[in-house]
Amino acid sequence: MEIWTMANKAAVLGFIIVTSFLAHPTSEIDPWQMLVYLLYLAINLTILTVKQMNQKQLFMGLSIGFVVASTLVLDPLFVLLLPVHILELAFLAGKQRVVVFVCMLLPLFIVLPEWMPLYLLTAFLSFLLYRCGSMLTDKLGRVEAEREKMREDLQSLTRSLNESSEYFRQSTYTIQLEERNRLSQQIHDDVGHAVAGALIQMEASRLLMATDQDKASELLRNAIAISKEGLERIRVTLKDVKPRPEELGINRLRLFVDELSVRETVTATLTFEGDIDVITPIQWKIIQQNATEAVTNALKYAKATVISLEVRVLNTFIKAVVTDNGGGADKVVKGLGILGMEERAASAGGTVIVDGTRGFSVTTLLPYRNE
Amino acid sequence: MSHVLEIRQLTKKFGDFVAVDNMSLNVREGEIFGFLGANGAGKSTTINMIASLLRVTKGEINLLGKNIEKHSKFAKMNIGIVPQDIAIYEDMTAYENVRFFAGLYGLRGSLLRERTEEALEFVGLGDKSKSYPKNFSGGMKRRLNIACAIAHRPKLIIMDEPTVGIDPHSRNYILNSVRKLNDMGCTIIYTSHYMEEVEEICTRIAIVDHGKVIAEGSKEQLKAIITDTKEIWIGIRTDEPLNLQALKAIAGVTAVLQEENTIKIVSKAEINNLNRIIQQLIKDQVEIRSVEEQAPNLETVFLTLTGRNLRD
Repeated sequence: MEIWTMANKAAVLGFIIVTSFLAHPTSEIDPWQMLVYLLYLAINLTILTVKQMNQKQLFMGLSIGFVVASTLVLDPLFVLLLPVHILELAFLAGKQRVVVFVCMLLPLFIVLPEWMPLYLLTAFLSFLLYRCGSMLTDKLGRVEAEREKMREDLQSLTRSLNESSEYFRQSTYTIQLEERNRLSQQIHDDVGHAVAGALIQMEASRLLMATDQDKASELLRNAIAISKEGLERIRVTLKDVKPRPEELGINRLRLFVDELSVRETVTATLTFEGDIDVITPIQWKIIQQNATEAVTNALKYAKATVISLEVRVLNTFIKAVVTDNGGGADKVVKGLGILGMEERAASAGGTVIVDGTRGFSVTTLLPYRNE
Repeated sequence: MSHVLEIRQLTKKFGDFVAVDNMSLNVREGEIFGFLGANGAGKSTTINMIASLLRVTKGEINLLGKNIEKHSKFAKMNIGIVPQDIAIYEDMTAYENVRFFAGLYGLRGSLLRERTEEALEFVGLGDKSKSYPKNFSGGMKRRLNIACAIAHRPKLIIMDEPTVGIDPHSRNYILNSVRKLNDMGCTIIYTSHYMEEVEEICTRIAIVDHGKVIAEGSKEQLKAIITDTKEIWIGIRTDEPLNLQALKAIAGVTAVLQEENTIKIVSKAEINNLNRIIQQLIKDQVEIRSVEEQAPNLETVFLTLTGRNLRD
C-alpha cells in the first residue's frame, strides 16, 4: 500500500513540475522551487524508511504542513498533493470511507477557484486508487491469514497423525502381547493338562503291559479318551481365536448408527442385503469412512430428520448408500469431503455417486471378484 | 484390438458444476458403443467434447491415436456426428443439405455427387432428394440428418439420442442403419436413455451418471453386476407333479421347482440353455403353454446401482 501511495505522490508531483515548467518555459528555474521539490521528496522518502508508527505519523503531519506552506508561499498547484496525504493518514488510522472523502474535500476552501476542477479530479483519482489499493490489501491480508491458519492446521494435523500412528503401533503391539499371553495361558490350561494326563496313563500302561494286560488296556483307553478331549479343546480354542469377519464390519456400522440416533435428533437406520461376508476389511474401512463423512455432511447441511444407511452386496459390486430426507441440492458442488470419499473409493477401484435430486444421497460402489 | 477413441481423465466444468467428472474409457474398432444414462448425466457434454464443439477443461481425447485438439482437422474428417437437435436447412432440398455438409468436409466434384447420392440412398431418402425437409416427418428429418453426418465416410459416427420423438417405423429404420453402418466397418457411439435400444444394438455399454462412468462392459457383464442367475418360468397344462430330474442335468441349471402348473428353473445367466430345456420337456411329453425369462435388464442394473430410474 505504501508503494501505491508513493507512486500516487510521484505522479502528482510530476504533474505539478511539468505544469509549472510549461507555464514559464522560458524563465530560469527557480532554485527555491527546486529546493522545495527535493525537500518534499526527502520528507516522503523518510516516511517510507522509518519503522515506528508515531514517527511515521509525525513525518506525515510534517509533510502535510510542508505542502500547505508551499501552497501558500510558492505554488498554489501544491494543493493537489493534499488529498494524497490525507488519504495516507486516513489509511493509517483506518477511518471510514465517507469521513475520509469529506476530509479530502476540506481543503477546497483554501483552493483558488481556477484550480478547483483540477483539485477535484486529483482527489477523485487518488480516492479511487486508495479504494482499490485498500481492497487489494485487505484481500491479501485475508489470504495471508488463511494461509497461515492452513499451515498451522496442517502442522497440527501432521503432529496428530504422527501421534496416532505411534499410538496405533503401540496398541497393536500391546494387543499382540495380550493375545499371545491369553493363547499360551489357554493352551497351558486346557491342552497341556490333557497331554500330561494322557502321557502318565500311557507310561503306566507300558509298565503294566507284561504283568496285567487288562489294567494296561484300561489305562490306554483312558489316555485315548483324554487325548480326544484335548483335541476337541484345541479345536474350540482355535475357533474362539479366529473372529468372524462380519463381526468387525457390519457391527461397527450398526454401533455407529445407534450412536447417531442417540446423539443427534435424527432417526438413523441401517439395512443390509446380500452376502456381507465377501466384504474385505479394507472395503469395510472405506464404507465406514465414507458413511461417517456423508452423515457428517447430512447433519451439517441437510436439515434432515431421517438418515438411512444401506449396504448391499450385489453380484460383482458392493453398494453402500447414505440417504437423507433433507432439502438436497440441485447442483452438487464438490468440496473436500466428496473428493476425499471419491479418492477412498478410487483406491479400491470404485466410484462415488453424489445425487441431490431427492434428499441427498451418497452412493459408494466398490467392485469385487465373485468367486 | 485397436482403440478408435481413447478418453483419458476427461473433465468438463461449467463454473462450479462438474458436468463430466474424470471420465476414462476406450472405444474399440468395430464396436457399437452405448452411452446409457439419465437426462443430464453428461452424455451430450462428453459427445460435444469429442466433436470439438466444447473445450475440454481437463484430460484428453485421442482419435485413432491422435489428440483431437492438436489434430483438429484430422479429427473432424474422421468423425461424423448426428446431434441431438436436428441440424438441417429447411429451405434447402434433401440433396442440397447432404451436399452442403459433405462439401464442408472437402468433398468436391463427381465424388461429392456420388457420396451425396449414396448417403441419401442409405437412409432411404433416395426418392426424396428433391423434396424440402420442411415437409418431412420427424423421422425423415432424422434420417436426412444421419445422411449429412455419414456422407464423408467417417471412421467414427456419434449418434446423440437419434430416436427421440420419432415414429416406430423410422426408429427401426435408424436402428437397422446403425447396424448396417457397423457392418460396413464404422465404429459407432450411441447415446440414449432408452434402455431397450441400447440393449438391442450396442456391443459394449457404459452406464453414465453424474458425469462418471459407473459401470462398463457388455450387457451380459453389466447384468452380472446384479446377479449371475436367471429364472425361466415355464407354464404347463397339468398341475400334476412331474419328474423333472432330467432338467437338472442340463448345463447351467442350478435348481428346478414345480409350483402347480409352473416350472421355475434357476440357471446361470451366461449359459443359453433354453433350447435344451424345451427339448427335454418335449421329450418328456410335457405340454408347454408359455415360456418367460426373468432376467435383470439394464434398467434394473441402473436402478440398483444409482437408486434412480433412467427416465426420472
